Amino acid sequence: MVTYDDGSPHSAPASLWGRYVFALHHKTIGLQYLWLALASVLVGMVLSTLLRVQSSWPDTAIPFLTNLQHTPERYAAIRLLHGSLMVFFVLTAAPQLGFGNYLLPLQIGASEMAFPTLNMVSLWTTVASLGGITASFFTAPETGVNVWLASAALFSLGALLSALNFTVTTIDLRTEGMTLPRLPVTVWAWFLNAILSMLIFSVLLAGCASLLSDRLLGSQFFSFASFLAAQPQNLVRQGSLPVLWQRLFWYFAQAEVYVAMLPCFGIITHLVATFSRKPVWKERLVVLALCGVGLMGFCVWGYHMFATGMNPYAPLVFAVLASSLGVPAAFLLASWLGTLWDARLQLSCALLFSIGFVSLFIAGGLSGIFLARHDLRSAAVSEDFVIGHFHLVMGVAATFAILAALFFWFPKMFGSRLNETLGKVHFWATFAGVYLIFMPMHWLGLLTQSNLLPDASRANLAAAGGPIRTLVTVATIGTVAAQILFVVNFLQAFLRRGTLQGNNPWRATTLEWSVPSPAPFNNFGAGKPTVYRGAYEFHTGEGNDFAPQHLAPELLAQQYR
Amino acid sequence: MPGTSTVQDIELIVEKKPSNGGGGDLPPVDRDGGGDDGKRPRRGKPSPKRYYTGMALGIVSILMFFMALASAFLVRRGSGDWVPVHIPMLMWINTLVLLTSSATLEISRNRLAKGQLDGYKNLWLVTTVLGVLFLIGQVVAWRMLAAQGIYLASNPASSFFYIFTGAHALHLLGGVAALLYVAKRNFDEAQITRSVAAEVTSHYWHFMDALWLFLLALLYLGK
Repeated sequence: MVTYDDGSPHSAPASLWGRYVFALHHKTIGLQYLWLALASVLVGMVLSTLLRVQSSWPDTAIPFLTNLQHTPERYAAIRLLHGSLMVFFVLTAAPQLGFGNYLLPLQIGASEMAFPTLNMVSLWTTVASLGGITASFFTAPETGVNVWLASAALFSLGALLSALNFTVTTIDLRTEGMTLPRLPVTVWAWFLNAILSMLIFSVLLAGCASLLSDRLLGSQFFSFASFLAAQPQNLVRQGSLPVLWQRLFWYFAQAEVYVAMLPCFGIITHLVATFSRKPVWKERLVVLALCGVGLMGFCVWGYHMFATGMNPYAPLVFAVLASSLGVPAAFLLASWLGTLWDARLQLSCALLFSIGFVSLFIAGGLSGIFLARHDLRSAAVSEDFVIGHFHLVMGVAATFAILAALFFWFPKMFGSRLNETLGKVHFWATFAGVYLIFMPMHWLGLLTQSNLLPDASRANLAAAGGPIRTLVTVATIGTVAAQILFVVNFLQAFLRRGTLQGNNPWRATTLEWSVPSPAPFNNFGAGKPTVYRGAYEFHTGEGNDFAPQHLAPELLAQQYR
Repeated sequence: MPGTSTVQDIELIVEKKPSNGGGGDLPPVDRDGGGDDGKRPRRGKPSPKRYYTGMALGIVSILMFFMALASAFLVRRGSGDWVPVHIPMLMWINTLVLLTSSATLEISRNRLAKGQLDGYKNLWLVTTVLGVLFLIGQVVAWRMLAAQGIYLASNPASSFFYIFTGAHALHLLGGVAALLYVAKRNFDEAQITRSVAAEVTSHYWHFMDALWLFLLALLYLGK
């Protein structure tokens, strides 16, 4: 007879099959998502280096891709693979599905997600989608687009199922005393993001299904001819596959911007408060701002999709997208700075990466203002500017949040700490590197398409862009190489797993630190924790540094007497 | 307890049998396998709230899926190449069949609440049969349209007609599977009671019913 507390078994399944492949347990599944993200990010970085090398030194022989310059489709395909791996399996999977699956039940005092089987199904749907997207790269362009679409549909399905799971878990499985105002901001972010995902990914799924049916069965939901007619002539090449691939990708990526950023906001808020040893500044407003990001995300993107009948060939609305994030983002920024203000900071790697996130978010956000003016954008800047902008604000910033989270929760997951010194070297190398890559890219974008200037001076300026292009490429190679430091650090700590002294290395308040590190299989054992206070009570009483959520007031008083 | 973990493993598979066709019927677990040794107290069934919440959210998701298609339908209708599809008579009859199935499902649950297990089982079966009848009716209606030369690829209107009815049929097929699952499942050891399972399934079924009415109205008024 299986005994249940709330429906989960008490020990790990003994067979390898049950423990790893068809694992139902939330921590195992969370780690599986993280491994998936790690593999994707490494491949994605190598691809971006290839793209840079190709654009700087087109004559270089690159393995597999030597005939790049002759086939724009291949170049577009590499870009698409780089983008899909990074956006789907790193930016979307890691902060929400990876860390979320691992930590959400722990932080709300549950021993499992609401529907473990569903969780396993969504993991393997995501894995299948990764396989499909990789396969689409190796097939002929025409089939490739279809395979990519089917994989994107699978990804949407997987995301829908896990969003359902996250939402129900947060609503129904909170432990005693874990009222909504006491939820850690991370949980709020995962929860709100899950609600947003449920709405967005249903629409994406419908779009994928109809588009696929158009391409395979000849139905006429979106007509391809009208799309071609709407394209600028210089973009339409050879059946316009490169343009099609680019558009398809952005159709998804627009939605993903919100889905990827929301959990990062939660993680950064959480870490900034913990390492400032201060409560989150205006915590209620932060939660409201997170709601705002979600709501606006859906309204803007949803409006676009509904107004154009979900047509993925419709023009981009980067403009509206960029400006809609402004107000809630400003709130969040104010709160992070307000928390950091006048705090006795503990400059660990996790906080460094969090501050790095804030810096990148501000830098990228500022160039977003230019993009938000659609007229300005088409007149004065080209693709390089856009690429520089969204890589700073979304790609790199989110990656910094993921790294911050990894430094923070590595002890919880594996029972050992990442090396702080190596981590700091890695941080500064990466931080300098990404600015060296993406800041000059903005400049390149301004140079190459300054329609405001006469033709002759524009040609001169474009020629001047050559050295900048080379600088960007060299910086890319250097930054990618610097990631070896991270891999070494990760492997070192991973090999030392289980050696951590004590449960709570960061003196953090939330429930996951009330159990041993790494967390035991059944999380909280037979009993469930009770929550007595909010998630960010640092220095609230005399001489007390922090008040863990699970400690009863009388026990807390004893501890700090 | 290394001795019990294998048994738990098997029980885990039996207990969490995936509804999406993973595994099929496994042999009953040996009850004397050492799991129920009294060392761990057996708690009552966990709160069923999560099933209601999950179904409600699932319904919202599915609704968004169809709303997205509906918005595409309304936008696309404005283009020039629209040739309206006339709904076959049979689909109206199918609608009556589906509405009846919702009624029998409610009566069946009523019987279950009163403890009349036989009445519940019979009416549950009737509901399932009506659901299957609806699906067969839809397939026949598609064939009738195809006989008139209206295919998925004929024109935008026919594309939408087939995807709406097809996507709904696929979702209803899931509902039929759920009905069969609830009918066949042994609830003695499950985390969920029969009446909760029946109620959650009924929410889905009625939603499918209402969704069909909406789609029919959309296709009829929007042609």
